[in-house]
Amino acid sequence: MDLTVLPVALGDYIGLSLVIFFIGVAGIALRRNPLIVLMSIELMWNAANLLFITFARVYMNNAGHIFAFLVITVAAAEAAIGLAIVVVVFRNAKNVDVDDVRILRG
Amino acid sequence: MIHHVMGVDGTYPLLLTLWLLPLLGGVLCWAFGPQLKTAAGWLASGALLASFVLTIVAWPTATQNLNGAVGAHQALVSWMPGFDFGLLFDPLSLIWTCIITGVGFLIHLYSIGYMHGDRAFARFFAFLNFFVFAMLTLVLSDNFAGLLIGWGLVGLASYFLIGFWFEKPSAVAAARKAFVINVVGDIAIMMAIFIMIAKVGSVGYGDVFSHVAAFGPTLFAVCVCLFIGAAAKSAQLPLHTWLPDAMEGPTPVSALIHAATMVTAGVYLIARCAPLWNASPDAQLLVGTVGGLTALVGAILGTAQWDIKRILAYSTMSQIGYMIMGVGVGAYEGGVAHFFTHAFFKAQLFLGSGIVIHALANEQDVRRMGGLRKKLPFAFFAMLIGVLAICGLPGLSGSFSKDAVIQGALEHGHPWLYVVGVVTAGITAYYMFRMLFLTFTGAHRGEIDPSHLGMRHPELVGTPHGDSHSEHHHAPAWLMNVPVAILIVPTIAAGWLLFGGGASWWATFFATTFAPETLPAAPISEMATTGIVLLIVALGFLVAYLRYGRMGDAKAAAEKLRMETVHAFPALTNAFYFDAALDALFVRPAAWLGALSAQILDPHIIDGAVREIVHLARSLGNGVRAVQSGLLRAYVLLVVGGAVVFIAYYTLIGVHR
Amino acid sequence: MMLLALVLVPLIVGTLLFALPAAAQTLSRVIGVVASLATVVLVLAARGDDWSVRWLSRPFTAAFHLGLSGLSFWLALLLTVVTLSAIVACNASARRDLIAQLLFLEGTMLGLFLARDLLLFALFWDAMLLPVFFTLLARASHVTTAWRYFLYNFAGGLALLLATAAFGVLFGSTDVIGQAGVHVIGAWAPWILGGFALAFLVKTPVFPLHTWMPLTYADTPPAMVAVVSAVQSKAGLYGFIVIGLAFFPDYMKAYAGIFLVLGAISLIYGALAALAQSDTKRIVAYSSLSHLGLILIAIFSFNTIALQGAGLYLIAHGIFSAALFLVLGFVEEREETRSLTHLGGLGALNPRLAGALCIAALAALGLPGLAGFAGELLIITGIFQSGLLWAALLALIPIVLAAAYMLRLFQGVMNGPQRSDLPIRADLSWREGIALAPLVLALLALGTIPGALLQTVIK
Repeated sequence: MDLTVLPVALGDYIGLSLVIFFIGVAGIALRRNPLIVLMSIELMWNAANLLFITFARVYMNNAGHIFAFLVITVAAAEAAIGLAIVVVVFRNAKNVDVDDVRILRG
Repeated sequence: MIHHVMGVDGTYPLLLTLWLLPLLGGVLCWAFGPQLKTAAGWLASGALLASFVLTIVAWPTATQNLNGAVGAHQALVSWMPGFDFGLLFDPLSLIWTCIITGVGFLIHLYSIGYMHGDRAFARFFAFLNFFVFAMLTLVLSDNFAGLLIGWGLVGLASYFLIGFWFEKPSAVAAARKAFVINVVGDIAIMMAIFIMIAKVGSVGYGDVFSHVAAFGPTLFAVCVCLFIGAAAKSAQLPLHTWLPDAMEGPTPVSALIHAATMVTAGVYLIARCAPLWNASPDAQLLVGTVGGLTALVGAILGTAQWDIKRILAYSTMSQIGYMIMGVGVGAYEGGVAHFFTHAFFKAQLFLGSGIVIHALANEQDVRRMGGLRKKLPFAFFAMLIGVLAICGLPGLSGSFSKDAVIQGALEHGHPWLYVVGVVTAGITAYYMFRMLFLTFTGAHRGEIDPSHLGMRHPELVGTPHGDSHSEHHHAPAWLMNVPVAILIVPTIAAGWLLFGGGASWWATFFATTFAPETLPAAPISEMATTGIVLLIVALGFLVAYLRYGRMGDAKAAAEKLRMETVHAFPALTNAFYFDAALDALFVRPAAWLGALSAQILDPHIIDGAVREIVHLARSLGNGVRAVQSGLLRAYVLLVVGGAVVFIAYYTLIGVHR
Repeated sequence: MMLLALVLVPLIVGTLLFALPAAAQTLSRVIGVVASLATVVLVLAARGDDWSVRWLSRPFTAAFHLGLSGLSFWLALLLTVVTLSAIVACNASARRDLIAQLLFLEGTMLGLFLARDLLLFALFWDAMLLPVFFTLLARASHVTTAWRYFLYNFAGGLALLLATAAFGVLFGSTDVIGQAGVHVIGAWAPWILGGFALAFLVKTPVFPLHTWMPLTYADTPPAMVAVVSAVQSKAGLYGFIVIGLAFFPDYMKAYAGIFLVLGAISLIYGALAALAQSDTKRIVAYSSLSHLGLILIAIFSFNTIALQGAGLYLIAHGIFSAALFLVLGFVEEREETRSLTHLGGLGALNPRLAGALCIAALAALGLPGLAGFAGELLIITGIFQSGLLWAALLALIPIVLAAAYMLRLFQGVMNGPQRSDLPIRADLSWREGIALAPLVLALLALGTIPGALLQTVIK
């Protein structure tokens, strides 16, 4: 496996991706504003995308690029639906705290 | 196995026609009843007359003898090997067919008068014709499965006709009882069929009778099963309890089905299966004993009845006991002869009683009759001839056949049955003359209050048979009298066919049916038996005359009857508790078990177990529902935590451990 | 292609019916009658056909394979005729919906009986639950019944699906129904048979898995329960014959004792429980438990005569139970009650209705000359011949009990004095009579000349 094609060490890419991912996780877990939560999810998508691109480069295989595009498409769709849900919840509840939306409680 | 057929194989259109004509008549009456109205009666009678004429025309085919194959055999359909259906027309079926269509025709004719004005007039004749078809199926079948089909269908016809006035709860109950007890008989015959299929591989008469040896020790079981079937149909102990109740049906029905034909099907079955019984002396002893006991018990119970039709019903039971005893011990010709003569005189007695009942607007209790000789002279004359015949006055038909049965019991080595037969003859004379005296002599008691006669349920007595059988006296009397008048001829004369012992017409006729046997001479000669029976009968008559022949005026007679009713033996009025015993042994346990399963097992035990499973699932669900908090952030933590655990597991421990 | 059309015609016509306005009752009946008549004709025309399309190659071979021969021909004929009768007889108020659901039921069950592939069989097995489930669910008072019906049968269906998957993996193909020489052996085989058997026992049903049935039969509209009791209940026994006996003969024999005992208990239990019911439809429901228990015993006696009798009795029971439920439905619609304590004396003013109920009840109690008798006689003969003396003797008892409870049913409804508290309604109409006519004729024909059926039903 030829790693010399990368100007930076592979480990750094993985590390950056992990950092971004966990920032996203922390955002979902700690913030209560749904817009922030959506943004955090977006961060997690991008962490994954970064890994896809990195390994596509490492293995010289375009599948990673294709997956990254797919993820971007899905992320866009998800953002649209997510925002729509947020708007509907806001209209109904006059409040956008994710902790207050608990009607799916078991 | 070679397929063995009785009778000369061929195509017999006459036979098919005489068999199917009553069915056609029945279907027409049933389908077009509202349009036919009273014509239905004539249509049905016409079908039977045609059937009877065809029987006479076809007589030579039944007696033809081709290299030992007697009679006519017509193949019909086959279900599978072993279950081949066809018609067999031999001397034995011929005698039954003659009675079924001949006496059946007369009773049809009588019914036109008796049932006149009934709302379901056409349906009555549809059922009656259907019965005749079913009975012909029974006696013409060439195999046990076909016999069983006829057996079940006559039971159905009997059910319909007992429950003909179906708005009367007692008639409905009687019909159901008759049917269910007859089904007990049906399954016994089914059982015999199973053994035949297992041992011989066929249910054809020819196959079974030519392989009697194949049964080995199960032969007795086959005979017992067949006999249980015969006992249920022919009202033998202890399956007789439906017959007295069956008198709920219209009187012509009692005459045709419950006296002349259907109830003798058991006699036919045993006579037909003579090869089986001949090979099983144990079965002969069993059947002979049960027959004798039934004759005795029926006669004893007949002495305690007040309903004219129930008296005749117990008399029928008793007379069939004679027949069963006859064919049971091996005196087939005597037993069949008694069926033959009994069909005439018992039909005549029933039809005579029908004239009385009809004239008294459905009064059936002899305590409220009396002195009817002047009002109904023809009925009196007809019933007198019938009573004399049943008692066995020498020269009348009953004496020949009854003496043949009693003598036959002795000849075949059953002296006890001989004694039973003789004693029963005496009791028969007593209760028949008791009925005759109470009905026709003395003073008329119709106006006396029922309670003065000791009747416990006066409100039930003389209840009209629903609105369907309202009082009507405009039916042409000759329609009811002519059949009775015609029946008087064979009632007197039919017995002479037996005159001449082994050389008689009867013996010659059946020479090919029942293998002739040589028996040791009986210790008592035939003439002596006739004398003994006559003596005992005279005794019975004397007792009846002393008790009921001279009862004085209406008031004295009423008091006498009241005392007798009140002081009657409970064992007799309860018919020896047979009904109660069957009820306690079978009916109530079945109902109890049914209630147990329907009210306890199903809703509480089985469904209870299912409910427990539901509870288990629900409490498990309750246990884990706390995890489903609805808090998005908690879910995220769970997901992350789960991921961490998985990753930790596979990095630290590894896939391959 | 005719076979594919046979399955699709009822499904498509059923769907299209929903395009009609709900008030178009006559039109929906006409369409329903034409469609079901077409299926009868198709069944008769397509006898012996076989049609197959490759479906799956991995993890095992499966095909969309339909065939119409032997027992499945007779069951398909029974199904189409009974559906036709039910649609002609249907008096329900929501007629368009019910006829549509009846056609769905017919299509899915035709798929089941025509399926020559186990996977296809399993799919139709579950699909045929839905029409009944949705029909019951539509009435608020019957929701409990609907769920009970669905959960019991769906649990069986899952076991069937699991067993089918295991069969496919183990044997490599599920395209096997009707093929000779397919024998599954090995440690897993009894478990696979067990999965199939569970589904079949629930569907039949057999004691103690029967408690969904009386409720379902009592609450389902008459036209539909006629089809369910006549044909759907036969799916389990059909499965035992074409799957159990064909693929697992050794294990069927090894575990026969369990099934014989369950069948015997059902036989007696159903008859006794029928004696104690006061609801007319529940009497027939419990009598079904008893009659189908007899067929189960026949299958597990492994005797040719008994199996031929079982084939005949499957069809016969289908016909008379359909007739019984249709007639009892007529009574219920007229008098607005099913209780024997309230009914009585209808025969005097409704002679045709009484005649119809009488014929159906007589066939059910095994009157000689009608189809039920021929089946019972052959079955018990075969059981006796196979050496199961106890089972043969036991099987005779319910015949007497059947006479008692069927007459109690008939007499309780039709005989006795007329009751003033019951509404007086019109007697059986021509349309209702025509609906019953094919059933009655079939009972007579099969009762007297069953040879044609017997020779083809079991090879």
